[in-house]
Amino acid sequence: MDAIQINQVTKTYRVGATQTHALDHINLTIGEGEFTALVGPSGSGKTTLLQMIGCLDKPDQGTVLIKGQDVTRLNSNQRADLRRSSIGFVFQFFALVPVLTAYENVELPLLLNGMKTSERRTRVMELLDAVGLADRAHHRPDQLSGGQQQRVAIARALGPRPVLVLADEPTANLDTANGHQAMEIMQRLNQETGTAFVYATHDPRVIAFARRVVKMEDGKIIDSP
Amino acid sequence: MLSKLWILAYRDLGRNRRRTILSMVAVALGLGLLILMNGYIAGVMDESIQNNIRLNTGHLQIRASAYTEGEMSLAWPDLLRDPEVLAAHAATLPGVRGAAPVLWAGGVIATPNDSLGIQVTGIDTTSTIYAPIREALVGGEFLNPDDRNGIMIGRRLAGELGLAVGSNVSLTVVDSDGNADEGVFTVRGIFHTGIPTYDQGSVLMPLAKAQAFARTERRASAVIIMLDDNQALETVRTALRSPDLQLLSWEDMNRLFIETMQTGLAFYYILDGIVMLIVAVIIANTLLMSVFERIREMGILSALGMKGRHLTQMLLLEAACMGLAGIAIGLALGLSSVAYLTYVGIAIGDIASVAGDSIALGSTIHARFVPETFAGLSIATFIFVLLAALYPAWYASRLEPVVALRG
Ligand SMILES: Nc1ncnc2c1ncn2[C@@H]1O[C@H](COP(=O)(O)OP(=O)(O)OP(=O)(O)O)[C@@H](O)[C@H]1O
Ligand SMILES: [Mg+2]
Repeated sequence: MDAIQINQVTKTYRVGATQTHALDHINLTIGEGEFTALVGPSGSGKTTLLQMIGCLDKPDQGTVLIKGQDVTRLNSNQRADLRRSSIGFVFQFFALVPVLTAYENVELPLLLNGMKTSERRTRVMELLDAVGLADRAHHRPDQLSGGQQQRVAIARALGPRPVLVLADEPTANLDTANGHQAMEIMQRLNQETGTAFVYATHDPRVIAFARRVVKMEDGKIIDSP
Repeated sequence: MLSKLWILAYRDLGRNRRRTILSMVAVALGLGLLILMNGYIAGVMDESIQNNIRLNTGHLQIRASAYTEGEMSLAWPDLLRDPEVLAAHAATLPGVRGAAPVLWAGGVIATPNDSLGIQVTGIDTTSTIYAPIREALVGGEFLNPDDRNGIMIGRRLAGELGLAVGSNVSLTVVDSDGNADEGVFTVRGIFHTGIPTYDQGSVLMPLAKAQAFARTERRASAVIIMLDDNQALETVRTALRSPDLQLLSWEDMNRLFIETMQTGLAFYYILDGIVMLIVAVIIANTLLMSVFERIREMGILSALGMKGRHLTQMLLLEAACMGLAGIAIGLALGLSSVAYLTYVGIAIGDIASVAGDSIALGSTIHARFVPETFAGLSIATFIFVLLAALYPAWYASRLEPVVALRG
């Protein structure tokens, strides 16, 4: 079964008298374990599409199916449940909870999922190890570099073993070396865990990591191999 | 889960330490002020009631069952037939400090220039229960039991009629047969109890003289009983119970007085409410500001699958932390200032008599510990703080996770 199936999804923003068709009857399928880049010019609708897939927002029309389940019918609590169990997020700005340490940030979604303490501890350390930050476990975000913060965010996203990780311009605020490292880690974890990754980017070097590239323009998908 | 919310709440409070501390200080000062105010008022109320008991009503009065409060009837059936016996019996009961018969009669005091309606009180001048009046003497001396034409009056009355120790006045009472009897008396002593109505409206004379003057033979209006403390009230009352007697406690006799005072307190309750509202507004503002600052963070938490109600709980926990810390400090502040006022007191001089006619106060006011009230105020403050957190908490719970991705 496909991880994600998007049918005729439309999203229109209205600001005053102007309407923006951020998403215009989009159809897209993402298989399990994919490593896909979402590319397109600024304003083409990449972020909006990731929000629909990630159950952060509802489309005006159309359906989004995650593992066959239509998530557009869910209420906000049910969507929160689904996000918690099935979807990981990596944001452009390293969106860690500032008052929690790296360890606690990675732990948070596991805790929300009700994982047992002993199991949780092992899992958090395993994840921090996977992103090469086991020795930074008790640092607060402001004591970590941007690249390290982004790696913590990747570890956090993978904690609950989601179907899919969504990353919105994960390297946009990193220098080339750190961006490269983050992409390598995502790629490796994709191969090791079989979790699908969809990431939006402008950067050709980052696009190069993808096994599939979906192109968007003006709220439409113009190329999806 | 709750433990993690605690950590989030606690650390978020630590993030803007100055603001958190200022809010706690607001809670602390608010509660401290409330405790001080209420301890002070309790002290004033208590002191004036105690003064009234000491100087005027006693803890318990025995009256004939036909006697009606306020009428000061001298008709024989309304009076106690054997007041000395009753008083002697009462004095033997445990917890009783003193008991003495008293006779009240409505009358008029007159000088060549002026006359005023007063209450003539025949007192057992030898009884210990009049020790406070002895202490309150500001001129002349206390009456002798067999003084046949001596009286004592309050300083206010003396002032109004221009009387001094040694002055002669004419007194008129309507006796038990309904006839007006007149006599000339000499002022022997002038007292100042601090109870305005008493200082202005009472003329004291020895009981035997009063009985003769009002033609009541050995009868009395009441036996006044002073107790060592209030604890013995019910047992003494029970021991004295008899079908042809009524037994009135200080509460019965001061009811009007207490009620009047409580009406006056409504103003302070409004003040209490205003203080709590101010505290609530400050807390609501602090939390709302911290929600606005953390919209992004809350978006992240929400994207990670935290539900609206968890965010609500987190903010309520923050409010609870601030509230509890503030309450602890406020209790310390309030209790120590009440302690100071209780043991040291504040001297108010003669303001008391200006303050109100119905309040019997000395020249130093003491606060009082009222633990139930203080506990109630602390709980009310806590509830107000939580109520104040509801709007920010509700606002946070409605935040859309979309804001997180929008940076
Ligand atoms: N909340 C909003 N209100 C109004 N218009 C919006 C809102 N969010 C997005 N839009 C509009 O929708 C369109 C798509 O925006 P979106 O953020 O999805 O583009 P994007 O491809 O992610 O761009 P970028 O590469 O710059 O991040 C844009 O024209 C944008 O202005
Ligand atoms: Mg975008």
